[in-house]
Amino acid sequence: MTSRRSFLHTGAMIGGALGLGGLPKSLLGQHDPFLLTPQPVTKAPASLNILILGGTGFTGPEQVEYALARGHRVTLFNRNKTRPGFFKGRVAEELIGDLNNDTSALKGRQFDVVLDNPTTLPAWVRNAAQQLAGNVKHYIFQSTTSVYSDQSIIGLDENSPVGVLPADIDPYTLDPAHASRFYGPLKVRAEQEVAKQYPDIWTVVRPCLIVGPLDRTDRFTYWPARIDAGGEILAPDKPEDPCQFIDVRDLAEFSVRMAEARAFGLYNAIGPEKPMTIAEMLYGVKSITSTPGFFTWVPWEFLKEQGVRPWRHMTVWQPPYGATAGYQRRSAAKAIAAGLTFRSVADTAKTTLDWHRTRPQAEQDATLRGAVGGLDMTREAEVLAAWHAKLKSAGPG
Amino acid sequence: MPLNILILGGTGFTGPEQVEYALARGHKVTLFNRNRTRPDFFKGKVEQLIGDLNDDVSALKGLKFDVVLDNPTTFPAWVRNAAQHLKGNVGHYIFISTMSVYPDNSRPNMDETDGTTPVPADVDPYTLVRENAGKYYGALKTFSEQEAERQYPGRVTVVRPGLIVGPLDRSDRFTYWPARLDRGGDVVAPGTPDDSTQWIDSRDLAEWMIRLAEQKVLGTFNAVGHTRPMSELLYGIKAVTTAGAQFHWIPAEFLASQGVRGWRHMTVWLPPTGPTAGFLRRNNDRAVAKGLTFRPLAVTAAETLAWHKTRTEAEKKTMMEGAVAGLAVTKEAEVLAAWKATQKGGPDHD
Repeated sequence: MTSRRSFLHTGAMIGGALGLGGLPKSLLGQHDPFLLTPQPVTKAPASLNILILGGTGFTGPEQVEYALARGHRVTLFNRNKTRPGFFKGRVAEELIGDLNNDTSALKGRQFDVVLDNPTTLPAWVRNAAQQLAGNVKHYIFQSTTSVYSDQSIIGLDENSPVGVLPADIDPYTLDPAHASRFYGPLKVRAEQEVAKQYPDIWTVVRPCLIVGPLDRTDRFTYWPARIDAGGEILAPDKPEDPCQFIDVRDLAEFSVRMAEARAFGLYNAIGPEKPMTIAEMLYGVKSITSTPGFFTWVPWEFLKEQGVRPWRHMTVWQPPYGATAGYQRRSAAKAIAAGLTFRSVADTAKTTLDWHRTRPQAEQDATLRGAVGGLDMTREAEVLAAWHAKLKSAGPG
Repeated sequence: MPLNILILGGTGFTGPEQVEYALARGHKVTLFNRNRTRPDFFKGKVEQLIGDLNDDVSALKGLKFDVVLDNPTTFPAWVRNAAQHLKGNVGHYIFISTMSVYPDNSRPNMDETDGTTPVPADVDPYTLVRENAGKYYGALKTFSEQEAERQYPGRVTVVRPGLIVGPLDRSDRFTYWPARLDRGGDVVAPGTPDDSTQWIDSRDLAEWMIRLAEQKVLGTFNAVGHTRPMSELLYGIKAVTTAGAQFHWIPAEFLASQGVRGWRHMTVWLPPTGPTAGFLRRNNDRAVAKGLTFRPLAVTAAETLAWHKTRTEAEKKTMMEGAVAGLAVTKEAEVLAAWKATQKGGPDHD
């Protein structure tokens, strides 16, 4: 078996074996010192015929694994470019095509549920709907909290205002530059396209920062990697600043359970359940490592002077003031009421770090250089030195 | 090379971890104890000698060992009694002492050269009076260290642990926090997030002692983790739970005014001022240089919590009542309410 889940689990066991305690096993009844052994997944009451668009990226693989474990029949539709053959022999079917211009493989097919993960352009929804409209009973669209136009709102919920695409941009553009430049508004339009093509049978899930294994953005991954490197660690602003993120597995499992429950509507998918501070997140990540290290919290004003940016360099964090005052304080009350659950921070951090350790060395090095997300360690040392110099020049206080 | 190891005790808290690790490392293990604490816990895996360090050490007669691990001793007389048979018959004597040997806890970063507590002139150092064990704990441990050196000159290792934590700990001190945070809700946290704390996982201690035996490392060592902020301890423990505990850091003075005491109620913490300013900031350089390593906090917290959940309902109730250590559930709610009442009209602290 070469499934990613078993691979991940093996990774966890290897990491765990290093810290395996001598306590008589009969007392604990298990061997995983981080106690991350997942609960066995039970079969769903009824098996669904599920089509997953994409399915080999980041959220998709977790949906596939969970759906299979729940006893569903899974079909993938993708270009067979990202991790080709990843689920070969495990999913019922792999359909090859391209949402830009070739959805013929979907012709004449019927499904209980479609999970649409990859769509950034409304045209992709429309293209797939040429074959799927009228042939599916439920369409679950993964959107984003980037649809919200005003991130200053504390407690922002599903009714908060969303971004509007400029009038001079064709909503059915296939220009990749538009996809990133108008990311939020195009996701909004894609949501609307879903509602148009599949009236009354749609679910839109708006996750915040998705974190965990297979994440190539390094945004969360930066912290486990950096903290495991130890020493003096630059931490953003104030320990009590809020922070939010969602473990990719919690998101994937929620979307499959929404399919099983035929739960329609609009849901923010945001963790954790209760408010969490950035210090709780960082010390939570630190709790899974043994490397000696400590955090130096440097005020936002000083970071700004040094060109250290929120999100890009100080990942997961956004200034809890002004335009981003509500960025890390959105509400997921509706999704939680509908059954969204959350893993522990230690679980997310440990599983992410175990996965990170399996990446090519060049990628691991790039993480500590802040090449994708996070702060270059050399630059970090400079900023810390400048901060200490400033404190010193301010005199004893 | 396999060692022939005698463990005095061996069925309490640190002992079982030493046994498991020593066996896993291929050593031969013999236990000497009263067979009262967890009788026959390791039956079939080790040789068991029955006796009592107070008055019956005859089972040790004529035996030779490469190493003795002395865990239970609180009385110098126990060292002396065992030595009646063991003196001249062991290559290495490793004595578990305590950081309570140090009378002065006012300064941070104190190391093993710090002064220890003498036995008062009017107390017989070889006392076997039970109440003296508690009353002169530090002094009697100090004298026991010296007794070990007298009996086994040039062959003694003295290990002085800080707060030992982990599964099987009956003191509830560390365990209070995983149990409390796993319940979620509003949690009283002591002092400030930056106050210092320090502990050692019983497995880290036990395994290191076996490695000291293997390498025949002699000397005196503080055995404790690195000094860390309270926030690191509590947030790290929260990280293994999903209940979403919300912390309220309440100043030391206010806690004192409510009768909430450091160590007893707010465990693993003492005010970082005055006579306890250095209590949770002991230097561990010497032990780390000799190979003491530390598990991740998440492992300690997750396994302690898992063990706690296997305890009897009576013991869990004891925890909720703060009867051994920790703050009672009801008292915590009162303290929180009183604290919030003083904060009214002020700025929100969250």
